[in-house]
Amino acid sequence: MWEFFVRSLDASTIFTLAALGELIGQRSGVLNVGIEGVMLFGATLGFIAAQSTGSYLLGFLVGIAIGGLLGLMHGFFSITLGVDQVVSGMGIWIMGFGLTTYIGNPYTGPLGMPRIPSILGLSPFFYLGIALVVITWFVLSKTSLGLRIRSVGENPSVAEVSGIDVAKTRYLCVTIGGMLMGLAGAVYSLDYNPVWNYNFLMGWGFIALALVFFSMWNPFILLSGSLLFGTLWQLSLNPQLVLPGVMSRYIWRMVPFAITLLVLLIMSTKWFRIKWGAAKPEALGQPYVKE
Amino acid sequence: MRGIIKRFPGVLANDNVDFDLRQGEIHTLLGENGAGKSTLMNVLAGLYQQDAGTMLVKGKSARFSSPRDAIEAGIGMVHQHFMLVPSQTVTENILLGLDEPRFNLHLNDYDRVVAELGERFGLKVDPRSKIWQLSVGEQQRVELLKMLYRGADILILDEPTAVLAPKEIEEFFKTLRSMVAEGKSVVFISHKLHEVTAISDRVTVLRKGKVTAAGLEMKDITRQELAHQMVGREVVFRLEKNPQKPGKVVLEIRDVHALNDKGLPALQGVSLQVHSGEILGLAGVAGNGQRELAQVIAGLRKASQGDVLMDGEVISNRTARFSIQRGLAYVPEDRTHVGSSPNLSVTDNVIMKKYRKPPVSGGWTIDMGVAKQFAQELKESYDIAAPTVETPVRLLSGGNLQRVILAREISGEPAVMIAVQPTRGLDVGAIEGIHRLLLAQCETGTAILLISEELEELRSLSNRIMVIYEGRIMGETQDDEMEKIGLMMTGTPLTQIEEQGSAEYV
Repeated sequence: MWEFFVRSLDASTIFTLAALGELIGQRSGVLNVGIEGVMLFGATLGFIAAQSTGSYLLGFLVGIAIGGLLGLMHGFFSITLGVDQVVSGMGIWIMGFGLTTYIGNPYTGPLGMPRIPSILGLSPFFYLGIALVVITWFVLSKTSLGLRIRSVGENPSVAEVSGIDVAKTRYLCVTIGGMLMGLAGAVYSLDYNPVWNYNFLMGWGFIALALVFFSMWNPFILLSGSLLFGTLWQLSLNPQLVLPGVMSRYIWRMVPFAITLLVLLIMSTKWFRIKWGAAKPEALGQPYVKE
Repeated sequence: MRGIIKRFPGVLANDNVDFDLRQGEIHTLLGENGAGKSTLMNVLAGLYQQDAGTMLVKGKSARFSSPRDAIEAGIGMVHQHFMLVPSQTVTENILLGLDEPRFNLHLNDYDRVVAELGERFGLKVDPRSKIWQLSVGEQQRVELLKMLYRGADILILDEPTAVLAPKEIEEFFKTLRSMVAEGKSVVFISHKLHEVTAISDRVTVLRKGKVTAAGLEMKDITRQELAHQMVGREVVFRLEKNPQKPGKVVLEIRDVHALNDKGLPALQGVSLQVHSGEILGLAGVAGNGQRELAQVIAGLRKASQGDVLMDGEVISNRTARFSIQRGLAYVPEDRTHVGSSPNLSVTDNVIMKKYRKPPVSGGWTIDMGVAKQFAQELKESYDIAAPTVETPVRLLSGGNLQRVILAREISGEPAVMIAVQPTRGLDVGAIEGIHRLLLAQCETGTAILLISEELEELRSLSNRIMVIYEGRIMGETQDDEMEKIGLMMTGTPLTQIEEQGSAEYV
């Protein structure tokens, strides 16, 4: 049972990190649906770097760097070139899926390094995740940088008239967002499940994406959503640990995705948006073109 | 500002404009829509860069490459559409984009500063409210506070009263006076004459990008003269009009009320009649209900009250098809999206109202041979310059696209035709062609309701001209009473004009 609890928190941490990255980008008005692709890159290249150098630190740094780079690329497409953000994001996902399969194939198998030591029985990244949630919340709602980010996401032309560089702010957010997604991927492949395998993520990124909508763009709700989905995910992997004999494991395997679908369905109803005053950034998904 | 020239693709928005503003005055910039008022002020506020000309601010030569530069020079502009972020608080909006506070916002402290500033200028608003919770008048106060907080002492207000209720306007004028008393200077952009006379010290009039009256003292000029300067009277082009021989009433509008897209009243009891064989011109500044009226007649918008009758039969609140079958033609304002289907060919576009009936329709199918031949005939008789009838209409020029639309509408031999801004954005030659088509159609006995903002166009085509203002008909005149039309367009009913003669009134 304790084991199940720890694994759930570990899973939640990965959701938190990735979704937080997505949230930061979205608050500035840039949607990145390629989150799964960014995570795959971060996980695979981080895995390779750690295995070939024997250094965990280098592995994580490579994961973060490639994530930031992909965020920057998404920024170039969607901010500078004004490409449809969904198309660019889908491109990143497909590219991530294909390229990491090709690059990672020779490394198939376990990492073969001593596990990362835990702190008070939990992964150190769990604490990092919580700290980042608090920091993100503080920066977004209490600082002038956060005000700038929110304004750019809500109404870029107002921001522009107020003397804010819209493109610069968005670039900053998608890059930091990408770094967090890359880190999330690396945490998966180096800490949570240190084995490289073909398409090992199987939808973590998409659940993280859904979590951002679920959170109504609030870091704290995002954290609780991550905990919920982390637990569900773990439950779907090993239902017999908690509820032995209830439903086939294949149905359990489907539960997180079904709930994701349900959440998104409810969230997109008019009733919900009016009732909760959902804070979806007004300019989300729209490229800003200066006159 | 000296000799400001600003060009947009195909338009000369400001042609050698001079403008000066003294400290502590309210200087009005008056002109019709599209006269170049906002463009000129956007140059001053750093949103646009002029193509030629110089600006001196407080004696120093200035050239702004962004709104930020202008604000640093003490120039702040309140735009017609408010530049506020609805989901953020008043204070957050005011602090937006400033270097101070550097990182931590300390919102409580700044709330107090904003409240004090509001107190000082009589702009009361709760700094902690979110913008979307505020009324439009309050939002305007936030805009002003935002500029004042940035230390602006030249305030440009782009049609600030357009969104205010009469009572709010009074209060707003009081605020303006108190700001001027503190040494601020105000540029007030407007096309409403009664407000201009009420608030300004001096006035500059723009028409078609040129200054027609520069920096006149308000006390030296009457409203009449201003209306004249604003509307102009030179006759550019005149076609031979139909001698008036109005037939029976074909289109009748009885006390029509309707809401606009935002759910606000756009039409408040419009009544008019159009006879066969005449062109009734409907004048008015954009956004006074013309669009909604045309949509109600065409069956695209619900009338909340009142009826539209064609030959005595009610056609309002039915389907568009219902009125088309009874001979209504509609030339909408938006010719690329409502008037035509850009990716479809000329043929497809011209049969759009014909495909249900033979000979184009062959039961379940469309006889493309007949359709093409029909399109070919129209292409020749309406002089549509398109490579073939298979060309998608998005590739046609504005004038040719309008010909396609008119060809479709006219070939239906309509009894009534509604034309909204049929020549907007076209060049002189194309305009003439469209005008000839409309006149020829009128001669065949069609009743035409021509809705336009171009007074010259209304003058040269219409038998009668009516003026609409805030969803009400202000009155009807013959074509040569341009000053009366100008006054009616700014909200003075004809009855009032006639009662008061040529005297001034407030």
